[in-house]
Amino acid sequence: MRLEKCWFCSSTIYPGHGIQYVRNDAKIFRFCRSKCHKNFKMKRNPRKVKWTKAYRRLHAKDMTQDSTFEFERKRNRPERYDRNLAENTLKAIKKIDKVRVDREARHHALRMKGKKAKEQREATKELEQSIHMVKAPAVLQQEPSLTLPKIKVKVAHQQSEENHPMEE
Amino acid sequence: MATTMTCNNFLSLQQRTFIQMRTNLKVVDNSGAKRVMCIQALKGKKGARLGDTIIASVKEAQPRGKVKKGDVVYGVVVRAAMQRGRCDGSEIKFDDNAVVLVNKQGEPIGTRVFGPVPHELRKKKHVKILTLAEHIA
Repeated sequence: MRLEKCWFCSSTIYPGHGIQYVRNDAKIFRFCRSKCHKNFKMKRNPRKVKWTKAYRRLHAKDMTQDSTFEFERKRNRPERYDRNLAENTLKAIKKIDKVRVDREARHHALRMKGKKAKEQREATKELEQSIHMVKAPAVLQQEPSLTLPKIKVKVAHQQSEENHPMEE
Repeated sequence: MATTMTCNNFLSLQQRTFIQMRTNLKVVDNSGAKRVMCIQALKGKKGARLGDTIIASVKEAQPRGKVKKGDVVYGVVVRAAMQRGRCDGSEIKFDDNAVVLVNKQGEPIGTRVFGPVPHELRKKKHVKILTLAEHIA
């Protein structure tokens, strides 16, 4: 039994799933589900399709080089069964998975760093520039502290209800 | 752009079915025939699938070969565009319909087989074809 990778999305294909397509030049394409298969038939390039692993690796959304990937390389030599070896391998698989997930989380955090600060800056700027879309400039002149609408809610609401029909 | 996309979709969502009477198949050995038309699928009410034997009539042949045009021959289907389920639950399908000519005992007439062949043939006891194949899918 061997766990293959889908040619299109690079997810693992478990036994009993998917379709294998053998081309006449003896190249085998394995697909995990009909979504991938249909995309392949449409001749879509997986490197351009956003949800595939190929795209994500290419555009540095996911980790590309890591030592944990070395453990998953394809080996064609069958190993003689050894109970100890099998037990250790199973334990190792669990540990390696944990390490890999941690590293991916770290990569993601690194990628998303500075997003909150950026969002905050953009929000304040938008508030400064386009406050006229929310409240009429006439109202703002009357009450200069209305740039942050949280302050003085009651008075502001009444006035804005007055002003909105005027605007329309 | 929209029309080309729909054209593509229409062609690739073709439902591939069995190999039945009047199906043209490619011959992938060096027995001399090039194209062969199925006249009977032995076993199977709807038609032959991957790994089945058929009776065929040679439609196109090379000038100096073991068979000539108009011969009635037996053949083993080695590639079928219709997917066939494997015992582990997955499915396999090929690009075209191809056949290897055999005699009544099941031994191939030619001495070489071109292109990939499935290992369903092992179960059907066509071991000779497997040994001649260049790639087993």
